[in-house]
Amino acid sequence: MNAQYDTIEREIRINASPEVVFDVVSSPEHLTEWWPDEAQYEAVPGSAGRIGFKEQDGTVDWQQFTVVDARPPRHFSFRWTHLEGETAAPGNSFLVEFDLEPDGAGTVLRMVESGFRERGWDEAKAVAEHAAHVEGWGIFLPRLPVYAEKVGASR
Amino acid sequence: MSTAVDDELWSAIGDPTRRRLIDLLLDEDGTATSLSGHLPVTRQAVAKHLAVLDRAGLVTGTTAGRERRYRVDRAQLARAIAQLTEVGETWDARLDRIKRLAESIQREKDA
Repeated sequence: MNAQYDTIEREIRINASPEVVFDVVSSPEHLTEWWPDEAQYEAVPGSAGRIGFKEQDGTVDWQQFTVVDARPPRHFSFRWTHLEGETAAPGNSFLVEFDLEPDGAGTVLRMVESGFRERGWDEAKAVAEHAAHVEGWGIFLPRLPVYAEKVGASR
Repeated sequence: MSTAVDDELWSAIGDPTRRRLIDLLLDEDGTATSLSGHLPVTRQAVAKHLAVLDRAGLVTGTTAGRERRYRVDRAQLARAIAQLTEVGETWDARLDRIKRLAESIQREKDA
């Protein structure tokens, strides 16, 4: 029963090439379409930046974000939520790892988020609560068709 | 959509020794003395961990002779697990958005 306390693991099959999926999970431009409102980093190993979530009053809640590894189109990992001024490391941040495996014309995407045990549960809870506040389906789902049209128009 | 959360509960379960204690107590009720036989820590340390778990409501103790005998409160443990599940659900939503986004880009490329 310990494993389920330590990490969150997910696997999903996507009907898109690993190159496309890698771009979606790693580039700051795409990240803002599925998660934060703002993303400031470069998708290269060691890049330290930040991602921002708009609050209802219009201010932006910034979270530190550091790219751990980027090997297109197979692996992208980052650490987030460490304190500003700290170097991301085990114990002060959550680690998110994406692994991409070609599957026919598509991709199997595996995601593991870890670090809950090292950090303690106050923070895991805080992140969960924050995520629940800012990322309801109601906020993000309506954006997708708009974004799809935008991508189509520019290519 | 956020659920009521309980700092004490999450802190209590965040410690590896305390989670090991919960594992042991799920097998059978125990006292600080009986549990310390399974762990590389002193009886006193076990008693402290049990007190933390007790405050969080994860275990309940009853006095048995000179010691307190503890058992797991399964409802409270289920609640702690449900809170982590919530973190998992936010990832489900993100991954679904990743899937839709990647597939729409792929369709545009193929068109």
